[in-house]
Amino acid sequence: MMNRLEKTDIQLAEMSLRIALEKGADMARVSLSKSIMDLVGTLNGEVDKVTHNLSMSINIYLFVNQRFGSFSTNRLSPEELESFIIKALDIVRNVEPDSCRQLPDPSRTAQDAQSGLELDLYDERYESIEEEERIKTALKTSVFAQTEGTQEWSLISEEIEYSDSLTDTLTLDTNGLICRHTETSFDFYACMTIQDKNGNKYSGYWWDSTPCLDKLDISSCVPTALRKAIEQIGPKSIDGGKYTMVISNECSAKVVSPLLNALNGYSIQQNNSFLMDSLGKRMFPEGLTITDNCRARGQGGCRLFDSEGVSTKEDSIIEKGVVKKYFINTYMAGKLNMDPTIEDATRPCVLPFPEKGASLPLIMEKCSEGILVTGFNGGNSNSVTGDFSYGIEGFLFREGKIVHPVREMLVTGNFLRLWSNLIAAGDDYRRGTQKQVPTLAFKDVDFSA
Amino acid sequence: MINTEKYYFDTFQVTLDMLESLIAVAMKDGGDYSDLYFENSQMGTMILRDGEVNSAGLHTLYGVGIRVLKGDKTGYAYSESTAWPAMVQAARSAAGIAMAVKRDSIQSASSEAKYHGRPNPAADRYPEKLSWQQCGMADYVTFLKKIDTAVRAKDTRVIKVMASLSYQISDILMFNSLGELKYETRPLGSLSISAIFKQGDRVENNTCGKSLRSGREMLSDNLIEELACEIVKGLDQRFEARRPKGGEMCVVMGAGASGILLHEAMGHAFEADCNRKGQSIFSDKMGKRVCKKGINIIDDATIHGLRGSTNFDDEGVPGQRTCMVEDGVLCSYLHDRISARYYGVPPTGNGRRESFQCMPIPRMRSTYMENGEASAQDIIASVKKGIFVDNFSNGQVDIGVGDFTFYVKSGYLIENGKLTMPIKDTNIIGNGPQALADIEMVANDLIIDEGTWICGKEQQNVPVSCGIPTVLIKKLTIGGE
Repeated sequence: MMNRLEKTDIQLAEMSLRIALEKGADMARVSLSKSIMDLVGTLNGEVDKVTHNLSMSINIYLFVNQRFGSFSTNRLSPEELESFIIKALDIVRNVEPDSCRQLPDPSRTAQDAQSGLELDLYDERYESIEEEERIKTALKTSVFAQTEGTQEWSLISEEIEYSDSLTDTLTLDTNGLICRHTETSFDFYACMTIQDKNGNKYSGYWWDSTPCLDKLDISSCVPTALRKAIEQIGPKSIDGGKYTMVISNECSAKVVSPLLNALNGYSIQQNNSFLMDSLGKRMFPEGLTITDNCRARGQGGCRLFDSEGVSTKEDSIIEKGVVKKYFINTYMAGKLNMDPTIEDATRPCVLPFPEKGASLPLIMEKCSEGILVTGFNGGNSNSVTGDFSYGIEGFLFREGKIVHPVREMLVTGNFLRLWSNLIAAGDDYRRGTQKQVPTLAFKDVDFSA
Repeated sequence: MINTEKYYFDTFQVTLDMLESLIAVAMKDGGDYSDLYFENSQMGTMILRDGEVNSAGLHTLYGVGIRVLKGDKTGYAYSESTAWPAMVQAARSAAGIAMAVKRDSIQSASSEAKYHGRPNPAADRYPEKLSWQQCGMADYVTFLKKIDTAVRAKDTRVIKVMASLSYQISDILMFNSLGELKYETRPLGSLSISAIFKQGDRVENNTCGKSLRSGREMLSDNLIEELACEIVKGLDQRFEARRPKGGEMCVVMGAGASGILLHEAMGHAFEADCNRKGQSIFSDKMGKRVCKKGINIIDDATIHGLRGSTNFDDEGVPGQRTCMVEDGVLCSYLHDRISARYYGVPPTGNGRRESFQCMPIPRMRSTYMENGEASAQDIIASVKKGIFVDNFSNGQVDIGVGDFTFYVKSGYLIENGKLTMPIKDTNIIGNGPQALADIEMVANDLIIDEGTWICGKEQQNVPVSCGIPTVLIKKLTIGGE
């Protein structure tokens, strides 16, 4: 574990807290983070780039007479840190007071994140990987030289990236908080670009990500990316109108994120949410349950504490259509006069509906016909109304089978109406994603073309 | 702002001899080009919420990025310390690229310096007349509170105002294996306002902002008035607005922020890295007609004070004006040093990066279309049925297929040559080459928007600007219900 924060680093964090108090802060929190990432990228079967990144920085949150400021620096010598904190305190003293600025109550903070290793997200193999091995891994699945293509397509380019990283974060505050999180990540990515006989280009990509090297699936990325590029050949325009929409698990989080944003305390406090006054109310169909699976051991994205050090909790965000939780940090709890919860969803998970065991093919078969969305191209939503409009990439399907790719289509609607038309949620969660959102199906969705 | 050479050497605690020695370490394993990018950035932030400036921050980023090229292959590493041992370690990591690539397949780089001389303060495109850092916090608190008052005074329907003021001052020092030494200080000030409005039981929001490469002098009473007017502009229409009926239709894009069309529909596809890899829909269109005669599309680093302007790019290449489309014909991609070498052309000064922690890649700067001869009124009057749009939030493009989208916050239907029903919250999709070919009229009212535009690519964000005169596009697809 030679690459994790060392004792001297930890002493630096402790020293920062001490200086903050000595120089006039009432309370303070610091978060010291070290991250290392190595990446090898290949282009058309040859090494194209090799990068090595090592960063260490400290975030410092200062509270002085009900005044608050947040600061960060990567200049970490004791002398530089001291002068930075003095400067930071001078800034804080000049902002306006706000009695809601507080550290979290110690009873709410995580007591079970002392070593950083509790969630089994650290793979010791990380420490022994040599550069040569990274290069071999990045090169070994290349098919560029062997791929001749067909009469229908030829391969234009193949990009592959292998990377591994370590992040080690220690959070301390002047109420005695000590929380640590250590995580390794191994990532593999492939992007294949082909050209059809008419000169049209299509790119397909695929990736895998895991905290444990042995679980990294490097063999399927290149073939999957190539297949996804080939599948796009021959897109056709179809008429706009109402269709059943199936969203594959590779992009279905796009329609869940705005719901979570609308439940955030900052959005609620600023009246900038289409889920105002929704706590405890049924806003969605009974089939929708979203839980926060934040403490699953060995699963990337899990955390035992949020950035304030508050302990995460596995519970429901939306249960059978009823909003069960706003994300309220300590500051927003004061502003909204509500009980604090957690600052955000850590690893939200949409539960299967109406039954377990459904994957993309089964859901398409059940829906019989509609549009399968495999990617979103831009778009946005209105945070106060929930109206949205997104560009999509995908396929027309009939009798549960793909007919052809569609081109230049948009999906438009309102999130409350969209979710009220939920037909199915699978349990085919994509590994390596922070939001666990399976294949989803909705009826009567407006598509423009 | 351009300080003395000594100022930058002192800031980074280096000497010219040290830079030369560090380059020698980086090149030791057989690299044929190497460069160093030193950065010392200070970013200040202040936020007004509920009438109070109750949060502020300061963020420091310091270090050096070291790049080694072997042909068009890249090795990159950085150090957050400019102590000699730390920099040498990073240089050795970056040097590894030379060992990792097949020597016989690589075309060596030119070893001739092209950009001689030291930076000229008289040619600086973003002098900081009033220092951001020397103004006290109290000054900024007063300014932000004036914004709150001004916005609330504009309309009784305002229920929330949030304003965010930030500045960044970056000292940059660049040196490379050709012996080229460049340095400068880049100021960037940004002011963003968002407001929530209530009418009866309906709620609406709006945002606006201004960002310039400028000192504290950009903050003025005029700016407060300008942004306060902008954020409530069209509010009556916004409460009335509906979604248009979706489908293909004629689109008039108003002058200014509609430059997002150029950024998404063609700008990204003109960046030469994706063309070098054969991935862009424009890869085989150099020298060919891509739109009507008379249309010129520019990517420009030379306009004083714009967010996308540069004295030098992040490879030390002088900022310049690059004509991408001249009289309707594609005449230049946007190059960094790697792609320029690949295509055998001079770099265009588009090698940019988010910070020293990232390697430079081809990026846009200020992208705009030059004026045509029509008037905006004539263009709108020529449309029997279509939409007019001029307020956007974001966009995206699929480089290979060429499909682009941008999100329209507000606009109007055009019926029989007149603006009629207000519309809002709709996405527009089109195909880059087709949309270019479908530009039928260009007005003479070019505006370069000074909003807080951020361009994201390969996990790197850089500030950009965009602009356009009013244009008529024969057809794009509009999202609707």
